[in-house]
Amino acid sequence: MLRRKHHNATAVSLRVPEPAPPPDTRDDELASQDALLRRWVSFAEMQQRIIRTLVTEIQQTSAVVETEADGLSGRFQRLAVCAERQTARVEELSRLAIGIEVDGEVVPIAKIAGLLEGTLGDVVEKILLLSKDAMSMVYALSELTANVDRVDICMDELNKINRTTNMLALNARIEAERAGTAGAAFRVVAGEVRVLSGVTQRVSVDMATELKAVTQGIDNGHATLKRVATIDMSQNLLAKDRLEVLMSALIRRSGDLSDVVAGAMKEAEVISADVEGMITGIQFQDRTRQRLEHVVDTLHVVDEGLQELKRSTEAGLSVPYEKTAQDLEWVGKLLDRFTLGDLRARFVAQILEGKQPSEATAQQTAGDTPSASGTVELF
Amino acid sequence: MQIQVDRDHALISMSGEFTFTDHVPFKQMVEEVFATKGKAVVLDLSKLDFIDSAGLGMLLLARDEAKKNDCALILRHPSGQVKRMFGVTKFHTLFTVEE
Repeated sequence: MLRRKHHNATAVSLRVPEPAPPPDTRDDELASQDALLRRWVSFAEMQQRIIRTLVTEIQQTSAVVETEADGLSGRFQRLAVCAERQTARVEELSRLAIGIEVDGEVVPIAKIAGLLEGTLGDVVEKILLLSKDAMSMVYALSELTANVDRVDICMDELNKINRTTNMLALNARIEAERAGTAGAAFRVVAGEVRVLSGVTQRVSVDMATELKAVTQGIDNGHATLKRVATIDMSQNLLAKDRLEVLMSALIRRSGDLSDVVAGAMKEAEVISADVEGMITGIQFQDRTRQRLEHVVDTLHVVDEGLQELKRSTEAGLSVPYEKTAQDLEWVGKLLDRFTLGDLRARFVAQILEGKQPSEATAQQTAGDTPSASGTVELF
Repeated sequence: MQIQVDRDHALISMSGEFTFTDHVPFKQMVEEVFATKGKAVVLDLSKLDFIDSAGLGMLLLARDEAKKNDCALILRHPSGQVKRMFGVTKFHTLFTVEE
């Protein structure tokens, strides 16, 4: 890479040598004019070389600009296509961030969270109701057990009464036998009482059997209900709490993602706009090329004018002109202002050494570079 | 779970863990406390460490008992797991809960 040092931007002093002292005689005057014309012709010769060298340089530079601009334009067009694809991807990402596609419909995440919360809330309500009803049934069964215990006590009392009644009936029968015929009616009553006591005893036994079955049923129900009531749903209830926290975090994340995607879309749009602007801007190259062509054309005209004038002046010279050291001096000072080593080398070859542009480029490529003034750094 | 009853101030302090196994003493306490109509009863839950779903069911039954006798039931200072359970089950919509 070439790094330029900037020189002081003052014009090079193209000092034309001082004119000859005023002539003493007419011959001297003519000789002086002749010398001046020769000097002018020599100067014009150098000007022409410089102009032609400049023309070559401008044409080559224009070609480089055109090539590079074409390359840049191609790259920017590819960049525009990529930017467009990126924008499409970001739009798709935005759509994905908003919700989840279910059966062809995009369901927003906030809505999913709402649905989940509603469903879980319903489950929690039902768990509470279940717990309350289970405990209610436990209480009811406990009361029923107490009732059954009281009935059992009553049954025991009844049995006692029955046994006493039976005993009394037996005693009455014995007394009736002792009373003989006078106790006949009493014997009948005692017999009936005994029969009644027997029936009561059988009914009591049946009731005890039924009561036992009821007690067994209550115990079984109690055991089942206890299993139901002791199922601890507290972890399931707390799971709803954890899920709500997770859903809130998911909604926040979705929101953050949407913000990032929105930012990315804006950036993508800016990039696309800038790239389109660059592609349009690179078209400056075509206008620049036309302007440079006009400059080159003008320089050609100047060159031709100089050539014509030089030829006609040379024809009038008594002594042909020759290149002088003064010509090389001011051109050398001009070239010393150049900071680009390769540019200076081409100018030296074409202006000072009179080589053709192709020769100057070939010489430079071969590495045969004239000594530079040391103002260009290569790295 | 331990239950301490302050009859003079209608304040019942519960401590430990409130589970199914406490249903008999809790029911007896509720029947006793809400026997007098029209009073406000406070359950101090500040020292209650844990409540399961059976415990929640028993509190709901206590609320029904209170309503039957025109009494008010207030739950005071739930904390930790008990507070979380009340939050998940939205108990503040069913009871007066004092934080």
